[in-house]
Amino acid sequence: MDTFIQLTLNGLTLGSVYALIALGYSLVYGILKLLNFAHGDVFMVGSFIGFGVLQLLGGSTDPVVPIWLLLVAITLAAMAGCAVLGVAIERFAYRPLRDAPRIAPLISALGVSFFLAYSMQLLFGAEQRDYDAFSMDDGALFFKGFDIGNVRVPLLRIIIIVAAFVLMALLWVLATRTRTGKAMQATSYDREAAAMMGIDIDRVIVFAFVLGSALAGAAGVLFALRAPTFPSIGFLAGLKGFTAAVIGGIGSIPGAMAGGLILGFAEAYTQGYISTKWSDLLVFVILILFMLFRPQGLLGKADIRKV
Amino acid sequence: MKRRGGVVLALATIVVAALASTAGAGSSAVTATQAINCKSTVKLALITPLTGGGGFIGQEQLSWSKYAVKTLAKKYGLKVQLLQGDTPVEKGPGEALVVAQKFISDPKVLVAIGPATSGGVASASGALTAAGIAQISPSATRTSLTKGANREATNAFFRVVPGDYIQGPTDANYMVDKLNAKKVAIVDFQEPYSVGLADAAETVLKKKGVSVTRLSTSVNTTDFSSLVTRVPGDAEVVFFPTQQPADAQTFGQQLLEQGKRAKVFGGDGSNSPDQFKLAGSYVSNFAPDISGIASSKALIDGWKKDNPSATLGSFGPPSYLAVEVALNAIKKACDAGKGKIANRKLVIRNIKKINLKTSILGGPFRFSTKSNDPLNAKFYIFQIQSNGSYKLVG
Repeated sequence: MDTFIQLTLNGLTLGSVYALIALGYSLVYGILKLLNFAHGDVFMVGSFIGFGVLQLLGGSTDPVVPIWLLLVAITLAAMAGCAVLGVAIERFAYRPLRDAPRIAPLISALGVSFFLAYSMQLLFGAEQRDYDAFSMDDGALFFKGFDIGNVRVPLLRIIIIVAAFVLMALLWVLATRTRTGKAMQATSYDREAAAMMGIDIDRVIVFAFVLGSALAGAAGVLFALRAPTFPSIGFLAGLKGFTAAVIGGIGSIPGAMAGGLILGFAEAYTQGYISTKWSDLLVFVILILFMLFRPQGLLGKADIRKV
Repeated sequence: MKRRGGVVLALATIVVAALASTAGAGSSAVTATQAINCKSTVKLALITPLTGGGGFIGQEQLSWSKYAVKTLAKKYGLKVQLLQGDTPVEKGPGEALVVAQKFISDPKVLVAIGPATSGGVASASGALTAAGIAQISPSATRTSLTKGANREATNAFFRVVPGDYIQGPTDANYMVDKLNAKKVAIVDFQEPYSVGLADAAETVLKKKGVSVTRLSTSVNTTDFSSLVTRVPGDAEVVFFPTQQPADAQTFGQQLLEQGKRAKVFGGDGSNSPDQFKLAGSYVSNFAPDISGIASSKALIDGWKKDNPSATLGSFGPPSYLAVEVALNAIKKACDAGKGKIANRKLVIRNIKKINLKTSILGGPFRFSTKSNDPLNAKFYIFQIQSNGSYKLVG
């Protein structure tokens, strides 16, 4: 039972991060029908922005502000930085290709992905960067918390899971209860009709990039609090986020959340009960199975076209 | 018509490719036997991951190789140029062969410093040797490169560090004899370095009656929580031969997070005081901490002057030694040929005969007569102290 609880906790932590990444894919795909393959690299840049701000604020061992403020500051900085990056990517890499054949923005997305990964490597080197959250407040983030049975739920995991769910809830409220959110939904449903109804499509698209990239930035920080980051980490993280989005139904916000969590649990349970060798393989088997048998994902809608 | 045009185009491509490959083979055969004037610039080719996840290894090797060329070329009266070939680990071992092909066609390339990784050596050694280029690796430790019936490297491959056939048993013996381990978990990363090392340690541990739990994960894993869950609660040691020191740090922290008290024991790949600093953990390394070697102090000071922001690690100094061996052998070949090297294979012969009275790694240096591994080399065990420093304990 303890093993099950521990693995569930592991899956929930990982899945929360995957869900945040998946939301970015879904937001952009829902509106632009574009697979933003640079999204994983925005996640990576977010983790680096967080690392940079952490160093500016004195690092993990000697921070100049309280730990809670430090965590909030690095997360907000990463979200803000990634939001700006998202706007820049949309403006320079995707907008000029909006009316081009669908393959063109896809290639552009791959180009942006490589550009970001290699630029970061040139600027900051290839080595791994560790937030060293273990040293914050003498290990309090790892050792304080509460117990479920014999399993300790550390403070850091609680912070990651709660932060991810708060961000997802905020996005949900934004998407369903605000005018901008409704404009996003309308644009997602039919871009041309939305434009005819007076919705500023450019603004909506930029807003989707801002939201998606900010969530990726937050995911970058939440992930890097537990594991080292490096310039090429975005590729695999992006693939996992994309898989989560496909599982949930790409374009669907609740689907992306569900897909991320399912993927996190699948990885954790596979490693815990089947084999530590097969978890990455399983992720992509799931992706292939969904593409073959349920391409619209769990909560997505089938794409019906008139011929 | 279009279809026929496509077939013609495909055939033409095949013919051109075949001609190109023949031309390449011819040029490597020519360059292998081409004479080299020792007064002209001779070239060394560093083959190492300069970018990607293993980039920190290559950058360290590059800085020390550059420093070695700068300080030793004058000593040996040679004009030396250091070429760089990037082999990111993410591109797989085959990238070393792609990079090697570029160097093969340059007749002035006499020695390859590398490939850095064992997989890279296995991939490129044959082609480099066929072109007469010696390979001196500062970090490839896989046993089967130089030993066994299915040797993966040729006779022109040398390494200045000992192989995993020494590291694995050294680590395992230390776990049993000094740490009194009865239960050990071993994690490999499904790539040749860690699998080879994990196998070597597992064999010795099982022979000594230790209960071994073998685990395996992808080299891309960065969050080890679920792997940690699989580590038996009563394991005393986890052998974790990663090539990413920060991963060893994360793994150790996640062990503690889940209340497991096993000590993390890393191989030479996790030897980095900057990144793996979890107090009480262990690492082995093919080189001692050269900052404790009095005769190497001047070299360290000079290197630090050229690389003020870099930290002294364990991957760099063997590169200095590899360059020293290469230049020493080139010099001897030049002297024997009275200012000319008839062909680059002569350099290979002189490398085999190398005999340095002192080396940057401490003590004299020469190759074994039985293999091209260093004679009497050993691995060293360090324990990480509470201030993050590495203390030599075995």
